[in-house]
Amino acid sequence: METLTRPGPVDTPVRAGPRRRGRQGRRLGYGMLTPSLVVLAVLIILPLAYSLVLSLFSWKLTDLNLPKPFVGVDNYTRILHDPTVGRALVNTVIYVVGAISVELVLGFVVAAALFEMTKGRKLANALILLPMIIAPVVTALLWRYLLDPQFGLVTQLSSAVGLPSGIGWFGSSGLALPALIAVDVWQWTPFVVLVMHAGMLSISEEQFEAARVDGAGQLRILRSIVLPAIVPQILLILLFRTMDTYRIFDTVFVLTKGGPGLSTETIGLYTYRTGFSYFDMGYAMALSVFILLTVLVVSAFYIRLLRRREAL
Amino acid sequence: MKRWTVASYTIVVVFLLGVLVPIAAVVVNSLKVPADIFTPTLKLAFTPTLSNYAKVLGDLHFQSFLTNSTLVALGSTALSLAVGVPAAYALARLPIRGREFWAGGILFTRMVPAVALVVPMYVIFQRASLLGTYFALIAAHTTFNLPIVIWMMRSFFEELPPDLEEAALVDGSGRFGAFWRVAVPLTAPGLAATAVLCLLFSWNEFLFALVLSGRDTQTVPIGVASFIGTVSVDWGGSSAAAVLALIPVFVLGLAAQRFLVRGLTFGAVKG
Repeated sequence: METLTRPGPVDTPVRAGPRRRGRQGRRLGYGMLTPSLVVLAVLIILPLAYSLVLSLFSWKLTDLNLPKPFVGVDNYTRILHDPTVGRALVNTVIYVVGAISVELVLGFVVAAALFEMTKGRKLANALILLPMIIAPVVTALLWRYLLDPQFGLVTQLSSAVGLPSGIGWFGSSGLALPALIAVDVWQWTPFVVLVMHAGMLSISEEQFEAARVDGAGQLRILRSIVLPAIVPQILLILLFRTMDTYRIFDTVFVLTKGGPGLSTETIGLYTYRTGFSYFDMGYAMALSVFILLTVLVVSAFYIRLLRRREAL
Repeated sequence: MKRWTVASYTIVVVFLLGVLVPIAAVVVNSLKVPADIFTPTLKLAFTPTLSNYAKVLGDLHFQSFLTNSTLVALGSTALSLAVGVPAAYALARLPIRGREFWAGGILFTRMVPAVALVVPMYVIFQRASLLGTYFALIAAHTTFNLPIVIWMMRSFFEELPPDLEEAALVDGSGRFGAFWRVAVPLTAPGLAATAVLCLLFSWNEFLFALVLSGRDTQTVPIGVASFIGTVSVDWGGSSAAAVLALIPVFVLGLAAQRFLVRGLTFGAVKG
């Protein structure tokens, strides 16, 4: 379990005709790569380009075959003035920052604890990963039950010990977003734990020995040896978790549909609704281009950081 | 020293309880009749029943969701492997120009949010009269599975010692022979893990299925979600549906356990 830097390709063929073989290898290489590039171009680049073009027109899903008035960048200027977009972006940012910070802190504590264990680590690893392989829709169902104000497990348990019970988490405009963040924390902290733990396993034993000889305590070791060593893993976590929380859709769609009011509206949900509930396709496509651009800017930033550290 | 060990075990055990209790709760609910579920206090002593499963599989035709999910997952996994494994080898081993450029471009496709793709895909598939077909769903799921295959398999190919492929070259197998007869068999465990992850991601996918599937092609997540939207939730039935959705996931997930984190990080964290 360690993050390796990648070795170079085998482009030094043995014995006869290195140049001829190199050229053949190159031709074969393009031949093997091309089908994937074609599939990705057709399935990803083409729809995105289609979106980009059709976002310049004003049209409803219902008049797909009618002539569509060209409106230029009107759909994009509309984004800037749309109060729902503003609200959705604020919610999305609260969700992204809230979920990731809790996951990082909790994940580090659990990963460090797991690292300290001598027995049962394999079993713990196998059980920890369960939430992240569950479909988000099923996760939503689990939490819909757990937090049900009347018959949910949380209500049943808290009334049994005399705590306030009967709270309608997903129906309250103040609590719905924190509850959605809790669902994300439950599902994805395991990912943070396992990635950080993998990073910790690659720290050499000598470093710990040296620290102990210097009389460093456990907290000191965690802070000045373990934490700096797993910075590449933390960056990876930030990259993947930011991308995935920013596009959050499934659990919000199933649990709150953006409500109550606009209290859990996210940018992904709003785009979906614009297209498939209001049938306002020109605007939906502009919104999807907007999401794409913001995602690409953020991920380019992270990937540059990671490449500099040779972690990706 | 001792103090830290005790604290560590406590932290891990508490965390595991937090992970497992919600899953256990849904399994228990799926075995309860409504009278045992709708109680103000938790009822732990009850007579287990399979009636929820009978209802979900009988009246509610949940098996058609299971069949659709299986077909879509297998289709998109097969397509992604057939196209992606050779590409992964080319990016790992062959002297092509702009290797890092192509690999980076493929990585970027992982960052494209599904919601940005699903809007234009809906229109394109509608125009091509492909909306609601298995093909539409398989194509949509390939957008996330193919980049995973390429990046994961590339990391497995790069870990192979080059000597074996060089030996195949000397034997006159050619570059493709070195790939097909040496590299692919040697990475069989990685290949299997990659396939399992693709099946998993496809099985769990919701947004594409929500928009692109038709009445006859709806997948398991759509079936599960349809239980939640209603005003009075059928907890027994929805829990049984959730457990049916979970069983294959847990089997696949535990089989690919070693490589799960690697798949989720595009091969960056070796597990």
